[in-house]
Amino acid sequence: MEFDFSYYIFWTLNYFFLFYGLLLIALYFFAIILSSKSVATNKRKARFLQVNDIVSATDIPSITLIAPAYNEGQTIVENVKSLLALQYPFYELIVVNDGSTDNSLSLLIEKYDLEPFDSTFITQPIPTATVNKIYKSRKLQYKQLTVIDKNNGGKSDANNTGINFASTELVLCTDADCIIEQDSLLKMVRPYLEEAEQEVIACGAAIGIINDSIIKNGVVQELKLPKRLIPMIQVVEYIRAFLLGRMAWSEINGVMLVSGAFGLYARNRLIEVNGFNVHTVGEDLELGIRLRKHMEEIKVPYKMVYLPETLCWTEAPNSIDILVKQRDRWARGLWETMALHKNLFFNKKYKDMGIFYYPYWMFFELGAPIVEFIGLLSLIIFGLMGLINWNVAVLLFICVYLLGCIFSTIAIFIYVKNFKHYDSGKEVVELLLAAYLEPFVYHPVLVYGQIQGYYKKIFSLKSSWGNMKRKGFSSNP
Amino acid sequence: MEEIILKIIIKSLLVIMLIIYGSIAFTMNYRRWRKRRLNLIEETFANVTSFYLYPDPNIEPDLIKIQRTFRKIGIVPSKPRNVQYLIDLMIRTQRSILGENYLKLKTLFTQIPPYGASANKLGSKRWYIKARGIREIYEMNQSQYVKELIGLRNHNNIYVRREAQIGLIVFLGWKSLRFLPYLKRQMTLWQQIKIVEKLNDLYPEPDLFYLRKAYQSEKPYANELIMRIIRKFNIIEDVRYIINFLDNPNFDTRESAIYCISSFFLNEADLSEIKKKFYNISNIEQQLQLLKYIHKISNEIDLVFFKDLLYNGTDIIKLSTADILWNNGYKEEVQEYYYHQYAKQNDGEMVSV
Amino acid sequence: MRKALVIQEDIIILKILERLVLLNHYDCRAIRSINDLNIEDQSENFDIIISDILFEGISPLDFVFQIQEIILHKSLIIVTNMGQKKIQNEVVASNKVDGFFAIPLDMDHIKKLIA
Repeated sequence: MEFDFSYYIFWTLNYFFLFYGLLLIALYFFAIILSSKSVATNKRKARFLQVNDIVSATDIPSITLIAPAYNEGQTIVENVKSLLALQYPFYELIVVNDGSTDNSLSLLIEKYDLEPFDSTFITQPIPTATVNKIYKSRKLQYKQLTVIDKNNGGKSDANNTGINFASTELVLCTDADCIIEQDSLLKMVRPYLEEAEQEVIACGAAIGIINDSIIKNGVVQELKLPKRLIPMIQVVEYIRAFLLGRMAWSEINGVMLVSGAFGLYARNRLIEVNGFNVHTVGEDLELGIRLRKHMEEIKVPYKMVYLPETLCWTEAPNSIDILVKQRDRWARGLWETMALHKNLFFNKKYKDMGIFYYPYWMFFELGAPIVEFIGLLSLIIFGLMGLINWNVAVLLFICVYLLGCIFSTIAIFIYVKNFKHYDSGKEVVELLLAAYLEPFVYHPVLVYGQIQGYYKKIFSLKSSWGNMKRKGFSSNP
Repeated sequence: MEEIILKIIIKSLLVIMLIIYGSIAFTMNYRRWRKRRLNLIEETFANVTSFYLYPDPNIEPDLIKIQRTFRKIGIVPSKPRNVQYLIDLMIRTQRSILGENYLKLKTLFTQIPPYGASANKLGSKRWYIKARGIREIYEMNQSQYVKELIGLRNHNNIYVRREAQIGLIVFLGWKSLRFLPYLKRQMTLWQQIKIVEKLNDLYPEPDLFYLRKAYQSEKPYANELIMRIIRKFNIIEDVRYIINFLDNPNFDTRESAIYCISSFFLNEADLSEIKKKFYNISNIEQQLQLLKYIHKISNEIDLVFFKDLLYNGTDIIKLSTADILWNNGYKEEVQEYYYHQYAKQNDGEMVSV
Repeated sequence: MRKALVIQEDIIILKILERLVLLNHYDCRAIRSINDLNIEDQSENFDIIISDILFEGISPLDFVFQIQEIILHKSLIIVTNMGQKKIQNEVVASNKVDGFFAIPLDMDHIKKLIA
């Protein structure tokens, strides 16, 4: 009997995909259980530490908000105004003008009556691009604002400059074009106020999508679902990622990524690890891993936590080509970070991070688009070879599709149950429909963007952050 | 065979989806209804309280009418969640009001529910119910349960023991600090903040006898709490307690010490002590904070101290020292240092201060 | 009749202040947020405003500096949860307020100011 090599490959791949798929489904189920528990626990804990208690307290940690800005002239004045209006008694705002070529700096100087500050002897624990001038406001109502003008060095470099200049216990890194909830600092500081045996080194919160919503004075006046399908699907994706994914990780102290758009860190730990890595586009994940490694190496119990609430809003890519560019960049960042920290792989020295969390990221975050791509190729090739039982294949596809829909539906259910956004029947139905269309309309684009990113890394093709043209936030309905 | 199994799975998944849809619909409608109900309770409570505190001239508040009003909006024993919400409103209000109105409110609140709910909660196995019960006990001044609170001060759940410890402060005041050396588990920053706050609000006169008894505590969180108390009550005669921790091996303890000492203006002896401790601090950022503080409270620049740092400190300390000297009339010293640095680079000589 | 405007997000504090002000012979407009101000309010010249400083979209100090341009008034009293010494000093240093009270507060102090 001849040995049929293709048959052997076919069944090997079949079992691999089956095993991979079942493992992923099991992980998702665990994530649902853990995140439900985490959300419920967070809610109960919040009753004992409400924002009204924190806003009136003394001795709470001081926070510096760092907002890097590059060519944000269109919106910088309004963005800074809204960042200055956050409700927290002890915070500073540092806007880092990262070598903008437009009139961002002059607009700030004029609006906030800034004057240069003697910066001859400024200390820089973390090396950064040259700082040209530091500005502070002459007006009493803006005395918490500092603007640092520096040579262009990228977002990470700008964040590091802000970290250098901050003098507070905690620093919050955000983007200048994000909208931050007014009471977000009061909520983000909770884990630090309640830290006990484990030191809290980073805290993140859910990020929401604000396309087509009404913004007034830097505040979300009316939250609406995006009109277009692509950003609407991203709403579902973000809900799933933050509510199911990050909250589940938070429950088992497995958070490795605190989003660069909104993350609160202990400043002394950032200085110890030399801040953000300027050589990777996945700087937030890379920092998270490096912080965890550092804490393991100095043998101090620690945790990185997530809050289940949406405290930061951002504009999502509106069109397919911008989405592809974004996911390409995220994929490259992920690849770079995984490569940089490959010594974690099944390394017992780093305990759970080495044995479980890093391998998870390797197999199921980095690996998922590759497995999907191979799966698609297999389907085409083995289909042409007549090896596929199409009845079973279709039924299996329907099964998997329904499972995916259930996960999304559960995520939406948890969101609707616990939070006040999207509380009309119409919006919930739209979200559900978007979730059910996602596998056909959106997911292939995602995989394409990710594979494109990996391709660039494998063949060392140059790429950069790119420019996402923002519509900006409309003040009119 | 596989087809049959898959078809069964698909049907089950569809059933699950329908159940989740039903849950979503129910949750949304219930939430809307519940929010309306809670708003009604809150508004009614606000009206009742405001009219009780400030009634129309020559009209006495009618407590029977108030009780009837609350029963009408669902504050009855058969609706414990409504009762719980009312308790939360009462606590919130009491924490916002001082003076004569506070005493009036206490009288009002004894006449309306919570139907003895708080003490029952102490027996619950769930931490959030137990902790809530403790909070209600001390906020509603039910001091007859202080023994139960003493028993819970070392509970393994952090929220339960926090509320118990705060409750002890509320009922026993400064005397409760005698428990501090015997606390077995970690105390959070928020706990420390609340304890200091309650002491300040309810017992504004410090009782140094009990405070000093607590000095024998060895746990870092106990040290931090005592330092915060010394700072809050401006107990200058005990500032040495804080100074002793400025060079503690524990980062958080040093951080607390530096934060607390910054409220005080010190005499020369204490300032000298701080300058000695400065060199023992292992964290540069904390040294910087302390340096700024030393400069702030010094009547004049201690040139010996600052020049020593300028010539022999780390790069970052040197920069900060240069900044201070430069902006306080000692530009020549800074220029001299940098000239010597330049010369040293050329000659390879050591320079002494 | 003298006119008063009370702005407090907490409905309980709002109602208590409203009663206090009414009993001291003021016409009182009580709202929970500056977004609830209407055109009539903005054309009034209030004898007194009792307000919080925590509002969405405007920093506390900015509010204190700009309130005179939004609503004409003769006297401004701040009643707020965010009443730390640092905040109090900054607000008082603006020279635009006649009283600053941190919650928890004794209403008798406000009574003395508005009598």
